[in-house]
Amino acid sequence: MPLADARHFDRLVDFLKQKRDNVTFNDIISLAEVAAQSLQGFFQAMDAKVYRELREIAGYIESMRHEIGALQVNDLKNTRIPAAGEELGAIVRATEEATHTFMECAEAVMAADASDPAAYKALVDEKMLVIFEACSFQDITGQRIAKVVETLQHIEERVSRFADVMNAKDIDGFLTEQERERAERRQKYLLHGPQLAGGGVDQAKVDEMFP
Amino acid sequence: MAVDVSMPVLVVDDYNTMIRIIRNLLKQLGFEDVDDASDGSAALAKLREKKYGLVISDWNMEPMTGYELLKEVRSDPGLNKTPFIMVTAESKTENVIAAKKAGVNNYIVKPFNAQTLKTKIEAVFAE
Repeated sequence: MPLADARHFDRLVDFLKQKRDNVTFNDIISLAEVAAQSLQGFFQAMDAKVYRELREIAGYIESMRHEIGALQVNDLKNTRIPAAGEELGAIVRATEEATHTFMECAEAVMAADASDPAAYKALVDEKMLVIFEACSFQDITGQRIAKVVETLQHIEERVSRFADVMNAKDIDGFLTEQERERAERRQKYLLHGPQLAGGGVDQAKVDEMFP
Repeated sequence: MAVDVSMPVLVVDDYNTMIRIIRNLLKQLGFEDVDDASDGSAALAKLREKKYGLVISDWNMEPMTGYELLKEVRSDPGLNKTPFIMVTAESKTENVIAAKKAGVNNYIVKPFNAQTLKTKIEAVFAE
């Protein structure tokens, strides 16, 4: 397919030869007109098949833009994920505070003088009441966990839909050097973390290994 | 319990609450001289400063894990006889086998109870 008509190139060359030393703004506009005329041949000669392909690509890009928009990346990044992180932080703090309260009560009872039964009972009653109150953390924690689970489901639905539409395939490797180092550390030092039921051995099995 | 409860014990865990739990359980068993460290490297420094009769260590800590601490202790001629109990949430068989191969004296899976800790300490000193 010819890029442009040869006659137009000749006109361009002639034009540049004539105006070599004294180029004005109008000359530049004229040059642009000549260049545009020379490209008409290219556009006219463009194959209809190429045009269809370009339209398909444009449609695909538009569809991808829609799917990326449906991911709601900004909402996830700016609102939902930070909020979930804050909820998890609050859960950790609440469990720590409750554990601290339980242990403080237990330590107070263990250290108490039991020689005066009435005073000892009053102390135990008081500390048990504090333990009951501290147990209320579980209700709030349960609600916070439900919010985090909802966020994870929200992300999972959108990412799964996006992966399906894009026919995404997983690639091996790590996104960052830090990610690679963490994975290598986990593997080298056998850092699996707590296991769900059935995922690891229980104490009885361990005991068999240490007769 | 037929164990010398006057010996110093080093508890290694990066979670303060767990250190407090183990301290209280050890206190109930009669141990009074209990120190703590928040990871393997801090523990190693303490072990090289003071002679401990027992190390009770978590596995998953940063920067130095309890597994690395165990291997360091076993490769150090001045420390290699120190009894070492791993107390950890790492409950895969490969972890228990690796710890045993590295020379751990016993292994407790979290969450654990006071009786398990008592039984394991007794078992270590009955060896």
